[in-house]
Amino acid sequence: MQATLRIRRFNPETDKKPWWGEYTLENVHRTDTVLDLLHRIKWEQDGTLTLRRSCAHGVCGSDAMRINGANALACKTLVSRLGVKGNEIKIQVEPILGLPVEKDLIVDMEPFFDHYRAVLPYFITDQPVPADGRERLQSQVDRERFDDTTKCILCAACTSSCPSFWADDRYIGPAAIVQAHRFVFDSRDEGMNERLDVLADTFGVWKCRTIFNCTNACPRDIQVTEAIAEVKQAITSGKV
Amino acid sequence: MAAITEKTSDRMTVRRVQIEGNRERYAWLFMRLSGVAMLVLAVGHMVIQHVLNSSTNLTLQFVAVQWSSWGWKAYDIFLLWMAIPHGIRGLFNILSDYVHNPGLKRTIGILLTLFVVATVIWATIAISLFDSAMIP
Ligand code: SF4
Ligand code: FES
Repeated sequence: MQATLRIRRFNPETDKKPWWGEYTLENVHRTDTVLDLLHRIKWEQDGTLTLRRSCAHGVCGSDAMRINGANALACKTLVSRLGVKGNEIKIQVEPILGLPVEKDLIVDMEPFFDHYRAVLPYFITDQPVPADGRERLQSQVDRERFDDTTKCILCAACTSSCPSFWADDRYIGPAAIVQAHRFVFDSRDEGMNERLDVLADTFGVWKCRTIFNCTNACPRDIQVTEAIAEVKQAITSGKV
Repeated sequence: MAAITEKTSDRMTVRRVQIEGNRERYAWLFMRLSGVAMLVLAVGHMVIQHVLNSSTNLTLQFVAVQWSSWGWKAYDIFLLWMAIPHGIRGLFNILSDYVHNPGLKRTIGILLTLFVVATVIWATIAISLFDSAMIP
């Protein structure tokens, strides 16, 4: 089939404003991913097209972008899912919103990682290493509580789909809350007070308006809004 | 393989945390609680005024009959206490997403708070003092 891609382009060295580039590809298959098509454009038509990707298999989280208006990983989005009409498909690709564009589809992720670092996303404990020097065990019930949020790959699809974050980038954002949730609800971790202090701040969880864009955007199917709700509840009830 | 087949405790570990309260947190809690209260109160109000009674004959006399009982007065006052702060806080939330200047945000907050306090007090007095006997 034939695919027409409309891609938001911007080169800070030559362009004053972003512009739309149009590219046509032949012999596109329903099973191709959007990343495959972007590769073909870069390799066959315009080598200056700039994007970030690494694993190409939905693991590394480097290629989140706005595809037909919705955030997704280009490597996980099949052409067949984007509304093929007859023997044609039209696809629009833009960088994710809310973060400064560096070039074409690449945004500056530093503000996003600043929020990530703010929640102390690492294991904190004063307990000594277990006598056998091996892992710190916990029950299956306790492990289950944060299972969902261990799946995050920090792709920023959630945070950059959030209208609260678009409006005010001081909001810590869903991804940082998901990462905090992973440790706050881990019975072996002892850093919950510090983390919840950050999240209980004005630009923490209260900026969440339960819009659910994050849950829709997450390529790992994490129940992001639910995780945020659990954190809000932990703060109000004083129990984790 | 003992570690894998072993059955662990079914009891979930619950721990206490001490997080300092701030205005955002109490406002959020108020929004949830007033939301639930209004689910009952506002829907009840709608049903009584517009479904069980036709809104075309919503006259002063109708209100006078209703407000001759303290129960209904209390119902309406309580609904008001929930609805006005809830609505204005919602407005403030939306504004504070876009107003980033702390001084301006504070001023808007103070003005809206004054509005809520004045409206709630004024309406409470008006409903409490309403005398059905005065309506012909
Ligand atoms: S929660 Fe999902 S959408 Fe958000 S950063 Fe993690 S993997 Fe990406
Ligand atoms: S390239 Fe690694 S997640 Fe898409």
